[in-house]
Amino acid sequence: MVLNNVKHALCSVAGAALALISGPAFALDLNMPVGVTPMSHDVYDLHMYAFWVCVGIGVVVFGLMLISIIWHRKAAGHQPAQFHENTAIEVIWTIIPFIILIALAIPAAKVLVKMTNTSDPDMTIKIEGYQWKWQYDYLQNGFSYFSTLAADSNAASQLDSGINPDSVPHYLRNVDHPMVVPTGKKIRLLVTANDVIHSWWVEDFAVKTDAIPGFVNQAWIKVDKPGIYRGGCTELCGRGHAFMPIVVVAETWNDYQKWLAAMQASHGAFINPATLQPEQNGSPVVYVPAELNFNAPTSAQLEPAAAVFSAAAQPAVPGTAATIGKSAPKHPAIAEETWTMAEAMERGKKVYADNCAACHMPDGKGNPAMGVKAIAGGAIANGPLAAHIALVLHGKGIMPAWGEQLSDADLAAVITFERNSFGNHTGDLVQPAQIKAAR
Amino acid sequence: MSTVAVAHEHHAEHPRGIWRWITTTNHKDIGTLYLCFSLLMFFVGGAFAMLIRAELFTPGMQLMDPLFFNEMTTLHGLVMIFGAIMPAFVGLANWMIPMMIGAPDMALPRMNNWSFWILPFAMLLLLSTLFMPGGAAASGWTMYPPLMLQTGVAFPFTIFAIHLMGISSVMGAINIIATILNLRAPGMSLMKMPMFVWSWLITAYLLIAVMPVLAGAVTMELMDKYFGTSFFNAAGGGDPILYQHVFWFFGHPEVYIMILPAFGIISEIIPTFSRKPLFGYSSMVYAIASIAFLSFIVWAHHMFTVGMPLAADLFFMFSTMLIAVPTGVKVFNWTATMWRGSLSFETPMLFAIAFLFLFTIGGFSGVMLALVPADWQYHQTYFVVAHFHYVLVTGAAFAIMGAVYYWLPKWTGHMYNEKLAKTHFWLTAISANVLYFPMHFLGLAGMPRRIPDYPVQFTDLNQIVSIGGFVFGASQLLFVACIILCIRGGKKAEARVWDGAHGLEWTLPSPPPYHSFTEPPAPNLIWAHPYRNN
Repeated sequence: MVLNNVKHALCSVAGAALALISGPAFALDLNMPVGVTPMSHDVYDLHMYAFWVCVGIGVVVFGLMLISIIWHRKAAGHQPAQFHENTAIEVIWTIIPFIILIALAIPAAKVLVKMTNTSDPDMTIKIEGYQWKWQYDYLQNGFSYFSTLAADSNAASQLDSGINPDSVPHYLRNVDHPMVVPTGKKIRLLVTANDVIHSWWVEDFAVKTDAIPGFVNQAWIKVDKPGIYRGGCTELCGRGHAFMPIVVVAETWNDYQKWLAAMQASHGAFINPATLQPEQNGSPVVYVPAELNFNAPTSAQLEPAAAVFSAAAQPAVPGTAATIGKSAPKHPAIAEETWTMAEAMERGKKVYADNCAACHMPDGKGNPAMGVKAIAGGAIANGPLAAHIALVLHGKGIMPAWGEQLSDADLAAVITFERNSFGNHTGDLVQPAQIKAAR
Repeated sequence: MSTVAVAHEHHAEHPRGIWRWITTTNHKDIGTLYLCFSLLMFFVGGAFAMLIRAELFTPGMQLMDPLFFNEMTTLHGLVMIFGAIMPAFVGLANWMIPMMIGAPDMALPRMNNWSFWILPFAMLLLLSTLFMPGGAAASGWTMYPPLMLQTGVAFPFTIFAIHLMGISSVMGAINIIATILNLRAPGMSLMKMPMFVWSWLITAYLLIAVMPVLAGAVTMELMDKYFGTSFFNAAGGGDPILYQHVFWFFGHPEVYIMILPAFGIISEIIPTFSRKPLFGYSSMVYAIASIAFLSFIVWAHHMFTVGMPLAADLFFMFSTMLIAVPTGVKVFNWTATMWRGSLSFETPMLFAIAFLFLFTIGGFSGVMLALVPADWQYHQTYFVVAHFHYVLVTGAAFAIMGAVYYWLPKWTGHMYNEKLAKTHFWLTAISANVLYFPMHFLGLAGMPRRIPDYPVQFTDLNQIVSIGGFVFGASQLLFVACIILCIRGGKKAEARVWDGAHGLEWTLPSPPPYHSFTEPPAPNLIWAHPYRNN
C-alpha cells in the first residue's frame, strides 16, 4: 500500500511531461495497458504509433508557432511581411497530411480486419447486460450465472457510507461471481442486453462491445496468461452504471476443465475457481479472505489466478445448495427444499442486498426521486402475498421481471425477507415451491 | 436602400427599460441579449460541472445520489451546448455580421426577436425538469433509448425544450443566411467577406440541415413512449441503434456548428495582432466548406462499438481521418499568418494563440480516436472527455472569450482592463490544462466517462482534474468582472480599436450607432482582399 501510494504520488507530482518522457516506467498508471490478448498488443502498438505521429507533427507545428511568437514580435521590433498566399506551399501542406493519414490508416485497417474476425472459435460465451449486472451464459456447457458488484464495494459506495473506499479491495472492480475463461483458446463473446444499452469492456483484452437489447454483437478474445482481469460497463445505463464491474478469471485449460466440471455438478451454483486449486506442499489451499491478498502492491494484471478474487464470495463446496449467490433458474433442484424462517431470512437478506438495495435502498425506503416505491410499510410488501410474488416475478414499469433472473429459492427468500423486515411483520414464510407454482 | 431609411425613421423612437429588451428588433440589442444569456448559461452549466467535479474529487459517494449525478452530466452537456456555446456564437453573429458586411441590421429583425426570446423559455423548461418527480433526464445529452425512455415526468418536457431550442436555432440560421446573402454592401462579393461571416454562412446552412434531424430523433422517442410506436424498441421490430445513427447525423454537424464560427473568429483575431493579412484566404474558405461537407459523412465514428459491419467501420474511419486535411490547412494557414508578422499579445490574441495550440491537441486526439481499433479502447472513457473538451472549451469557448475581448471595446466604447483580462486569460488557460490534460491519462488507464464513482487507483488524477476545474470555474468570475467594468467605463475606445484591424466594423465609431450602416459604406472601404488595404 505504501509503495502504491508513493507511486501514485510520484505520478501526480511528476505529471504529464515526465510520463511522456519516461514512458514505460509510468505506463501502468498513465497509458493504455499492453494487455493480454493478441488484439490488445496490436491495439497498443497502433495507439503508440498514432501517439508518436501526433507528437512528431506537434513538435513541427508548435515549433513553428513558437518561433513566430518568440521572434516575430512587435515588441522585438519585427516588421510585418505582407505575403498572404503561396500556392506551392499550400499544396504541399495539403498533401503531406494526406500521406501521414494513409500511413496511419493502413495499419489501423489491418488490425481492424483481424479484430472483427470471430470465425472458428474454440468456445462461445454469451454475455448479457442487465441494470446493473452481467450474466455469463456458457452456451456449450448448459449453465449461466449473474455477476454483480461485490458486497463490500456496494456497501462502501452508498451515499455517505462512512466506509473508506481505499479499505475495500478492488473497490468497484470486484464481483461476486467472475467470468471464468481458459487461456490460449479463441473464445467468441456474444454480447447483448436485457433492458438498456450497456457496453462490455475489459481493457486488457482490448474488447469493448456494446450490449444492445434485441441485438447480438460479437467479439473474440484469446488470453495469453492466467490472471484476473478487470473492467466495467462503459455505456451510460442508468443509476448503477458505475456499479456493474467485470471481472474475468483466466485459468489454464486444465484448471478451467476442473471448474467446468464443478460448475456442472453444482446445478448452477457458482463455484469459486480459487477453491479448486491443487494441493500445495501437502496441504490444501485454504480460502483466504480477499483483504489479506490485496495488501501487496501488485497490479491487477500481475495477480496469479489462484488469488481469491472476491471479498464477497463465500467458500463454496461443489454441490452444496447452501452456497450463497444466485443460481440460474434452469436448475430447479434447489427449489424443492423447504426451509425455516431463519434460513429464508438469512438468504433473503443477502439476495436483497445484491439485487434490490440498489433501487429500494438498504433500508427499504425506496427512492422517490427515481420513482422507486418503498418496501418499508409498502402496500405490496404488506398486502396479499400472491400480488407480491407476481410483481417480483413479472415486474412492472421500472421494476424488472426477476423471474427470469433469480431462482425459486432466491425469490422465495427475498420475498420472505421483504415481508418481515423494515418494520413489516406479515409473518409470511414463502417456500420455493410457492414461487415455482406461481411462475 | 429607401426601405432601410424608412425603417430607420420608424424605429427612431424605441422603448426604454425592460420593454426595450423584450420588444427589440435591433441586431445589437438582440446580440447583447444572446451574449448575456449565454454567459448566464455558461455559469449554470458550469455549476453543474462543479458539482460533478466535487463528487469525483474522491472515490465513494459523498454529495449526491448516482442518479442525480447522471442528471448533472446530462444537463451540463445540454446547457453548455444549447445554452452557452451556440447562443454565444449567434450573439456574436447578430452583433458583428451586419457591421462586417455594411448592413443596417439583420434581414429579418422581428424573427430575430423571436429566435432569441424562445431560448430563455426553452432553457427554463429544461432546467425545471430538475424539480419534477423522478428528476431530470439522466441519460446523457445524447439521450439514447432505451435508457432515455426510463426518464420520469421530465421526459416530454425535455424533448419539448429541445424542440424549442431547435426552432430558435433554425430561425437564427435563416436570418443569418438571409442577411449575408441580401444585405452585403455593394462591392462586397462573397469572396471579399470576412472569414467570420463566411464561417457563419456555412454554419447556418449546417444548422438548417441538421436541427430538424434532431427534432425528428427525439420525436420518435416521444412516440415510442406515448404512442405505441417501436422505432427504437427491438421487441417491436425497431432498433435502438437507429436512434444513434439519426442522432449523430445531427450530432456530428452539430460539433462543427460549435467550432466553425470559432474558426472564423480566430481568422479575424490572428491577422489583426500579427499585422499581416490572413494567409490563404480562399483556401480557408474552401477548408471550411470541405469540413462542413465531411461533417455529413462521418457520423458513425461516434458509435464504432455498436457492432457495425467491417465495411462501415472502414468507411467511417477513412472519412473521419480526411477531416484532418482541411483542419490541418486551417492550422497551417493561421501559423503562416503569424509567420514573419509583427505580433503583439493583447488578450484576444492570447486566447487565439491558446486556441491554436490547444485546439490542435484536441485535433490530435481526434485523429487517434478515428482509428477504429484504438477507438475501441478510447471510446466512452475520459480520453474522449478530454478530446471534446479540448475542442469545445479550449477551442470554441476560448474563441468566444477572445471574440468578446476583441470586440468589447467596439460594443461598449471603452477599453477593457488589459491587466485584469490577462489575469483571466492565464488563470483560464493554465487551469483548463490542469483540468483536461490528465483526463487523457485517466481514459487510457481505464476510467469510463459518466460515472459518479470510480476505483481508487484513479483518485490522484481525479483530484488534479477537480482542482483544475474549480480554478477554471472561479476564474470565469474575472471574465464577468472584466465585462462589467468595461461596460461601466474605461479608456475611450477609438473607431479602429486595434491598429492592425481590418474590416467595416472598425470604420464605425465605438460604440456604433443604433442602426449600423444606414447608408452603404463607401466603396473604397471594401478592399480587394478582406484583410489588406489596397
